[in-house]
Amino acid sequence: MHLLLIEDDAEAARFLAKGLRESGYVVDIASDGREGLFRATEGSYDLIIADRQLPHFDGLSIVAMLRKNGRRTPVLILSALGSVDDRIEGLRAGGDDYLTKPFAFGELLARIEALLRRGNLPEVTTRIRIADLELDLLGRKVVRGGKAIDVTSKEFQLLEFLARRAGQVVTRTMLLEAVWDLHFDPQTNVIDVHISRLRAAIDKGFERPLLHTVRGAGYVLRDAG
Amino acid sequence: MPADDSARGRLMRMSSARLALLYTALMAVLTSALLVSVYLLTRSVLEREIAIVIRAEVEDLADDLRLGGVERVAQTLRLRVDSWGRTGAVFLLADAQFHPVAGNLSEWPRDVVPGISPLSRSDMVEFDIMARERDAEVLHPVKARVARLANGYWLLVGADTSERQRVLRRFGLATLWGTLLTALCVWVLGAAYARRTARRVREYATTCETIMQGDLTQRLRVDGSRDEFDALAATVNAMLEALERQTTTLRTTFDSIAHDLRTPLYRLRVRLEEAQLRSPTSNEDLIGPSLEEIDRVQRTLATLLEISRAEAHGLTTHRDEVDLATLATNMVELYAPGMRAAGLEVTLEAPGPAMLMGNRQLLAQLITNLLENALKYVPSGGHVWVRVQNTPHEVVLSVADNGPGIPAADRAAALRPFVRVGDAASKAGGSGLGLSLAAAVARLHGSRLKLGDNAPGLIVHCDFPSTSPPITEEKPRA
Repeated sequence: MHLLLIEDDAEAARFLAKGLRESGYVVDIASDGREGLFRATEGSYDLIIADRQLPHFDGLSIVAMLRKNGRRTPVLILSALGSVDDRIEGLRAGGDDYLTKPFAFGELLARIEALLRRGNLPEVTTRIRIADLELDLLGRKVVRGGKAIDVTSKEFQLLEFLARRAGQVVTRTMLLEAVWDLHFDPQTNVIDVHISRLRAAIDKGFERPLLHTVRGAGYVLRDAG
Repeated sequence: MPADDSARGRLMRMSSARLALLYTALMAVLTSALLVSVYLLTRSVLEREIAIVIRAEVEDLADDLRLGGVERVAQTLRLRVDSWGRTGAVFLLADAQFHPVAGNLSEWPRDVVPGISPLSRSDMVEFDIMARERDAEVLHPVKARVARLANGYWLLVGADTSERQRVLRRFGLATLWGTLLTALCVWVLGAAYARRTARRVREYATTCETIMQGDLTQRLRVDGSRDEFDALAATVNAMLEALERQTTTLRTTFDSIAHDLRTPLYRLRVRLEEAQLRSPTSNEDLIGPSLEEIDRVQRTLATLLEISRAEAHGLTTHRDEVDLATLATNMVELYAPGMRAAGLEVTLEAPGPAMLMGNRQLLAQLITNLLENALKYVPSGGHVWVRVQNTPHEVVLSVADNGPGIPAADRAAALRPFVRVGDAASKAGGSGLGLSLAAAVARLHGSRLKLGDNAPGLIVHCDFPSTSPPITEEKPRA
């Protein structure tokens, strides 16, 4: 996977690139808007990470120009501007995701993964199976080991989001955005309570847990075995 | 708002109409006072004139009497027999039995019985005489003086006052019409002026309202008439100019502070994470809490920024039609498990859709902050009620609890940034921004956050202008 990082803060760019390379990505760095736009149009990248405030061209203009030229490359915008309106502006310009600085590296990694895999998701899925857990997306039913599990509709939405990204780390903010459509961080860890209830529903009484907590990042649904 | 607007418009029109009416009444009173005094003056002048003429005649005739006796008086009167037609003068000399001797009256007026007293200045009498005018008998009022002559004869000298009364009547009519016309003119002009005033005031009010909703680029209209309104508009516009400049400066400052603080925070975070990556086990007790601290600072910063934006931006904030009932349900669903885990009971009452124009994210943040406050301050075993009601003109959100509440004296302060009220708040260690952000979001949506006593506990009220009619009837499900 080939990523382009457009970031004028050299230290942050170096750290992000290092972390991303350690996670198995090939990363090119562009240090200003003009170079970023040039590379983004010339090269073929799987994903572009663009800072919003850049010399020459800002991140939003880069996204807008790419989209105007018909490039569908996913773009993740990083920004020090984090208000509700800034976010909407970023997504309207054609950005696929928006992350406010400062963010945890784990959050960035999870979002990159989600964006890269988005293209691979089969659109029409009616059933998802992870180990002995089975989700019926039409009937909104959960079965594990042949036993029907009762979940609330929100718990089902949570589980579906995790199941569609089985094996991927999903962060709390991603869950808040996807399941509750909230684009800000509440002060308390409300998501943790929901996850522990979901865990009690699907993992309790089974030998192998499927819903795992990834420290400092979020949660992952996977068959650990 | 529209209902409010028209009510105020009505009030303004009423007050200007009142003003016009007041001016009209004032002008009518002044004009009629002026005209009536002129009328009275004229009447008294005319009366004095007649009195003077009569007195002069009486004195002349008294001279005749002294010089030539009754015969001479009669002679003089015979000479003047046609004087009524010319000057309106009326004479009659009669004997002691009131039989006419000479003069232009055919008989002694029946209703005039002169006093026994000799000639004095004050005993004026009034009577009517019949006169033949163009073959019709016409009554003419006469004012006269009666004197008893030395030989027992009676002398009556008077003046026909019909001409004078006609003049006075005309004058009176002119006075009445003049007063009415003046009043009408004043009323028309006053009403026009008052309407113009009211229109401009209303126009200013509308503009100011738009400005208050956050559109600082609006200005009051200056029509170039250089009147007081133009002067006022120019001053207000200058003030708005200054206000807009300050707001822009503030916003730019805030944005750059946010950027300038976030960048070092970001680098700090990056370095700490790098340290964590290099050796995951060493100094974990220092790095972990430091990262959490950075996130906390970041959240405070974001909240402050959101408050300042909500205050400064107003209308420019992204707005959609939002169903507050669905949103509240969503938020309660998000918080209910956490609250139950903390030993709190949650009740949601949102009977039907409650549509309003607003920013969904900011409204969600408002509800979040109220729920998190309840979670922080209401002790285990407590109860939290969330209600969304749709009344004809507004959507009312209320979040109530039976926790410690906020004393009435501290409620206003509780809405200000960085203010934590009471011991519980200090212990809970919030940022002190939750309620002030909620208040800012409410203001941005044309509402006001009101804190009240739930006896016991706190009740937070917010009423938003609604965009949908309320559900009046709930259809029973089959």
